[in-house]
Amino acid sequence: MTLSAHRAPAQPARSQSFAATAEAHLDDVYGYLVYMTRNPGLAEDLTADTFEKALRTWRHFDARRSSARTWLCQIARTTALDWFRSEERRQRREERAAAPERVDTVFVEGLSPELEAGLVSLSAGEREVIALRVLLELDGDEASRVLGISPTAVSTRLSRALKKLEERVVSHVAV
Amino acid sequence: MSPSETLERELRAAKPAAPAALRERIRTIAAEEPQRETFLQRLSLRRFVLVAAPATVAVALLTAGVIGLTGSPSDDPVVFAEGGGSEGAEPKTLEATREAAPAQDSMEESAVPPAAGAVEPTPGRLQRYDAQLQLQVDGVDELSSATQQAMRITRSLGGTVSSVSYDAPSQGVGSAQLTLRVPVARVQSAIVQLSGLGTILGQRYGIEDLQPAADDLAKQIADAQARIAQLRESLRNDDLTPVQRATLQAQLAETQRRLRDLRAALEGTRAEARLATIQLGLTTEEILPAPAEEDSALDGVVDVLRWEALALLYVLVVAGPFVAVGLLVWFLLRLRRRREEARLLAQT
Repeated sequence: MTLSAHRAPAQPARSQSFAATAEAHLDDVYGYLVYMTRNPGLAEDLTADTFEKALRTWRHFDARRSSARTWLCQIARTTALDWFRSEERRQRREERAAAPERVDTVFVEGLSPELEAGLVSLSAGEREVIALRVLLELDGDEASRVLGISPTAVSTRLSRALKKLEERVVSHVAV
Repeated sequence: MSPSETLERELRAAKPAAPAALRERIRTIAAEEPQRETFLQRLSLRRFVLVAAPATVAVALLTAGVIGLTGSPSDDPVVFAEGGGSEGAEPKTLEATREAAPAQDSMEESAVPPAAGAVEPTPGRLQRYDAQLQLQVDGVDELSSATQQAMRITRSLGGTVSSVSYDAPSQGVGSAQLTLRVPVARVQSAIVQLSGLGTILGQRYGIEDLQPAADDLAKQIADAQARIAQLRESLRNDDLTPVQRATLQAQLAETQRRLRDLRAALEGTRAEARLATIQLGLTTEEILPAPAEEDSALDGVVDVLRWEALALLYVLVVAGPFVAVGLLVWFLLRLRRRREEARLLAQT
């Protein structure tokens, strides 16, 4: 099975209302943010923030330049990165010595424990590219637009992430 | 099926779905329709550039057109024509000649093409007539010949040569300036003959009406004569005291003196109106012909466009370093942001 076989259906045009667009891509945005943050509760808040931002900038969305899903993922990514920054500052400010809060809860229902553990061991950047290319089934160009890197770099990053995930799963099974 | 494909399948099968509470929350958010954007909000940078760039070019072209066409030399009251001259001479325009022309604000000025002939004085009226004629001759020999010929023509018409300035170096540009006084009745003939001495480069005619001044003087003379007659009649009275007689005699003497002055002034005015002044300039220098009106207008447009291009270049030169520094700062900030993002995403 190849990734191209799982291409998403054609994206809605700009003529679609914001409500319809939000409804169509809510799961994608939420899933992407769950993978990035490993925290479903946080992902919900960030998803809401994402759609609030999207509503404010809806007039700037140009369907000819990118699909609505790509555009929403770009906003979601910026929202998540802003949260990472503020969280880092907060932790640094509150207690430098304190270890950052670990999120070890199950963040995706329905995954095998090995795969869940493998995902947890990946970095946010690695999980992000897996979410975009595997979970949301964005093609290379769309994913590169979201991540701000070249399609080749996306492929390389995905390949490494999957290989690493595979190794972690295998090692976890072995243990 | 490879292990990777198995993983991908499992990941897709367990794709997180948004909880119902979140779905409702998003519906609430999405229910707020985006506010109708104002014109300024719609005017994004890209749209602004798309509108502003062609508008700026259009304004620049329009400005060049308006300034170029309205500022063309066709409005100049002086007409210069028929250029050309000897080879090797440095070409120049007639600006210098134009500037050298004396101001004649109070004069009725007229500029006509050489072919149309000079402006004629009005018969029966006293007028001061001035003419300026700029001619080009082929060389120094012709310059000398033309100068002498101009003097002969003037004398043959009953006029006089008021001044002559002749400058003919062995090499370079030769020139002569003559001030000629010709009877007004023959000024047309004089101009026609003088024009034949070379190629006409420029000409200017000025007429100042002296008739009102002459009429005023004549009236003052009549008043003075009447006053003198009155004073003489008074002096014939034998009953005048010595003091009264002395006073009347003094008044008579003063009035007679004023009458003489007025007569002299009237005679001077008449003499001035009898002779026309012709400033004749002869040169061997090649002078470029004035461009045709259409060419001048186009040149004006091109000149304005050139100035606009220079202004743009100036702005670019001045703003260039700032723009470069701005771009560098933007690039460094972007690089820093990318690194920070990479660091944040490298965390688990």
